Formats: sequence, structure tokens, C-alpha cells
Amino acid sequence: MSSFVWMRVLESAAERYDRGVRWLSGGRIDEVYARVAELAVGGASATRPQRVLDVGCGTGGVALACAALGAEVVGIDRDAGMLAVARAKALPPGAVGTVSWLELGAAEIEDRFPAERFDAVTACLVFSEMAGDEQAYVLRVARSRLVRGGRVVLADEVEPVNAASRALYRLRRLPAAALTFLLTQTTTRPAAALADRLAAAGFVSITEERRWGGAFAVVRGEVP
Amino acid sequence: MSRPVQRRGAAGEASLGLRDLLLRMLPHAAPTGLQAIGRPGPESPVLVTGNYTVTVRRLRRAMRGRHAWLLCADSRGINVWCAAGGGHLTHHDIIAAVRVAGLADLVEHRELILPQLCATGVERRKIEAATGFRARWGPARLEDLPAFLDRGRRVARRERAMRFPLRERLEMAAAWGWPLFALAAGVAAWLGGWRLGAAVAAAVAAAVAGLYAAVPRLLLSGRGRWWSFAAFAGFGFGVGVLALLLAGDAEPSRLVWLAVAVVAAVAALSVDFEGTTPWYASALAASGRASIELVEDRCSGAAECVQVCPRDVLAMDGRRRKVEITRPDDCIRCGACIVQCPEDALRFRMVGGGVVEPATVRRTRLNMLGRRTVEIEERDGGEA
Repeated sequence: MSSFVWMRVLESAAERYDRGVRWLSGGRIDEVYARVAELAVGGASATRPQRVLDVGCGTGGVALACAALGAEVVGIDRDAGMLAVARAKALPPGAVGTVSWLELGAAEIEDRFPAERFDAVTACLVFSEMAGDEQAYVLRVARSRLVRGGRVVLADEVEPVNAASRALYRLRRLPAAALTFLLTQTTTRPAAALADRLAAAGFVSITEERRWGGAFAVVRGEVP
Repeated sequence: MSRPVQRRGAAGEASLGLRDLLLRMLPHAAPTGLQAIGRPGPESPVLVTGNYTVTVRRLRRAMRGRHAWLLCADSRGINVWCAAGGGHLTHHDIIAAVRVAGLADLVEHRELILPQLCATGVERRKIEAATGFRARWGPARLEDLPAFLDRGRRVARRERAMRFPLRERLEMAAAWGWPLFALAAGVAAWLGGWRLGAAVAAAVAAAVAGLYAAVPRLLLSGRGRWWSFAAFAGFGFGVGVLALLLAGDAEPSRLVWLAVAVVAAVAALSVDFEGTTPWYASALAASGRASIELVEDRCSGAAECVQVCPRDVLAMDGRRRKVEITRPDDCIRCGACIVQCPEDALRFRMVGGGVVEPATVRRTRLNMLGRRTVEIEERDGGEA
């Protein structure tokens, strides 16, 4: 993996986002989408379809993966261009779930959805674009929109824990960040302390999986 | 869900430093969230801005001695004008800032004062619908905020139009000129010694400063654009020759190097000189080949377009209750009027005849990298 800081370039023209993210992840981003979906809805009781809110759904990778597992998904994103790409996609063959799309910011969840509306909330490559106080706010609101036992699953670029890996990661990321800045005048920061943020928002049974040299984390928590 | 207010922002009130002057084109992020200016209370005004350090410092300085809340939305460390135009500061960011700050619990009134220059990317009515706060346009320049507040929160017409005084033009010349200056002078010194380096430095500095100093009267349309850049490259070259003559080193080979360096520096700046100013339409934006068009039947006379135009291009005809495009040649195609019109009565008309409707402008902001996503309808227009 290079660095997902390149997302900033990809986001500026939505139709190239999917191709770019696949390239950035060495073709493995679909594995991440599938893993997030599995952690969000996999293993849940089959009495009714699981209701999932995908925050910052972008072009719909995670939302469609959840729908493929039979979930009823609402994908929200503030970028109308990305949503247009998502809307144009068909559900995966054999999928029994549903998906709908809505232009909405992460901090606007409370405007549209009542308390305990969802069984799972997902966010992939979203928290690295938010300020820390907004992350905390979104997690608090997301928790209130989840049923008891509901799951939150976050997937994002993070810094490796190991000092040597972290130094190497920073060296590798620096030119990518510089070039991204030249092209877009913006950058992203790796998300920090995602598990701690989940705990601070009141989630329990928190687990964290690392991949890509420890520079990408998938974090899951539950509402007690 | 309220959170602590920053009593003294990290951006402080200190005067602008060297970084703010020379590296202002780089993001320089101030903390997001709510800051206190003076000792604000529940009735104090709430001023919204982006989290660009230079803006926050200047705003705090302009408001010295007053009491207000300063709500810094996440503009990714970019100034409000560029962030909103590039899609990096939207109404979603301001809604998030209001929510995260717990503003509704902190103030008793329900009014936000938005910076006029964010109107290219921030949809005012969506903020009102989501937050319950009335969102009102403030003046284009933050130093006019005290007078705006004293006047009962009304913007005078002269405060809507962008100004670009000489001091700010020279600051911009320093910000954009020094990388060219340093690169050209460094290469020249390496190739031809310190005298040539010094002459190139003087030449590039003179050309860049001259261009910015001439901005209000600089001709930048059609072939005149290239004559303008050529004239200032020539001016810089003359200054460089003078420097070489004074150093007793004006050999022909030196003059060739000097000419190459000045032309290269001015050519680099000319790629989008217009876009570095608030005075001209960006040479790279997709809207550069467009003009605004009023669909008069749709116009309800709300005149929000008049309030947000930074170049005073539009005016309200009170008798007819319709807006008029009175100074089309001054339009910089920022799209603010199109984004804010409640009736979608304004749109872009491309040179080739196609139209870009408001929904597309709101979605793309016509930013440079989004250019390929802009949908231009190949038809004569008229009623959409």
C-alpha cells in the first residue's frame, strides 16, 4: 500500500475513485470492504435483515458489501458526485439486501434517523478526514442510533505501532502527501486512537485488526 | 453534547509572521471549534470562518475590544475563498461545527454570520434547515465586521465588493514570487556565479512585484494577456541588466541566462496568475470560458445573488422586482450567485452555447480537478 492520502486526489473526480483506491490498496480494498461488512452484519441473528448505516459511503464499496450479505443499508455521504457513482452501481449478483443513498454529513445523522434505528454503523476511510472533536461527536451520535448490542466498525489508515515500521511508514507517506498537496491543496492524517475513541463513546468488546504493515486498522465495538 | 470553548485560540492574536507571509499558499490549520473573542455571552454574535490560521488571526485582531463567538469550521487549513471554491468548505462543515460546538446550548439567539466569500460552496439555506440558526451573510472582508455589527448587522454595498489593496498585492507577490525567486536565483548562481544569481533575483522580484502592483489595471484577456506578461518579463529583464551593469558583469552569455531565467519565472506564474488573486477569474477553472446568464422568468427578486457577488456585478431593479446583470465584464465566474439563488435563476452559459445548470455548479464548484466531471448541456438553453 502507498498511502490513502492519495484519496484527496481521487475524490476530486468521483468516477476515478474506485480505480484509484484499488490501485492504492494493491487490489485488496475489496477484501477490506468485505471484512467490514462481515464484522458489521456477519453472524447476526437471521430473524430479520440487519439495518446498516454506512457513514461517508463514497462510491458505495462497504454499503454494497453489506447488502450482499443481506443487510438493508443506508449509505450517506456529503459528496453528491461520489453518491452519483454509487447510485449507478448495481447490487452484487445474488445479493438479497437493499441499499439507498442519501446526501448527508456524518454530523447530521441525528437529523434523519431516530434513536436505535440501526443494527450496525460502518465508516471506511472517513475518520482520517475528520477533526478529533468531530470524530467524538459522530461516535456519540452513532451510538445513540444503534440498538443494544449494535456494532460500529471503523476502517482507516493509521500509523503502525512498532517504532521502526512507523518511521518507515512516515518516510513512505511523505512524498505521497506532498504530491497530493500539490494537486489538491489538502491532505489527510492517519486516524489516531480509534479504539480509544470507541471506548470513550461508550462502546465495549472492542477489537482491532491491523493489516498492510500495521498501517491500516479495522476496529469494531458494540453497544452494551 | 457541548464541549469546552477555547478561550484563546492557538492562532492567537499575534501579528502575521514570516510563515504567514511566505507560506500562505500552504494549508495552515487553526483548531476547529468555538473560540471566545473577549468575554462573549449568550447574546453575543457568532462569527463563522474557516480554520485558516491567517484568517483567524486577522479576524481576532479586527474584533479586538469586542465580545463575540468565533466558530471555526473545518476548511482543511485553507482560506475561506479558496476552500469554498474548491469544495473543501461546504455547508456540511458548518453544520458539523455548530453541532460539535453545542452552539444551541451556548447562545440564546439563533443567528450565524457567514463570511460572504464562502458563498461559492456553502449553501446558506441548508445550514438554516439543519441547525435552526438563521444564517446571514457578513461582509466580504473581515476588517469590515465591526462596522457591520455596529450597523445592526447590515452590509453596506461597498463592503460586499472585494478589495485588493497594494499592501495585500505585494504580500501576494512575496508569497508566490519567492519560490520562483529562490529557484531561479539559485540555479543562476550555480551556473554563473553570485553576480548573475543576484541579477536574476532582482529581475524576478521586479517582474513579479510589478505584475501584482499593476493588478487593478492589468490587461489579462485575449492576446493582451500575453503582452502583459511579456511586458513585465521585459521590465524584470531590464532591472536584471541594470544589476549586471552595476556589477560590471554584463557579458552577452550572462544576458542570455538572465533572459531565460526571467522568462521561465514569469511563464510559471502566468499559468494561473489570475487564480492567485481575488480580482480575476482563474485561467484554469472550467468556468473560465463561461458567462453568467439570468433566466429572468425564474427570478423572484430575492436578490441574494446581489448580496454575495464579490465584484458588484449584479443589481436589484426595485421597480421590476428583478435582478439585473449590470457589470458583466467584471464577473469572475466564481458561481456564488448561482449557488445561492433560491429560484435557480442564474446559470453559466459556455462560450460554445451549452449551459451549466445550478445543480451542477453546486455539486462540482467547477474546481480545477473536478473539471472533467462538469456536465455541460449541448443545447441552446432558454428554459431548462
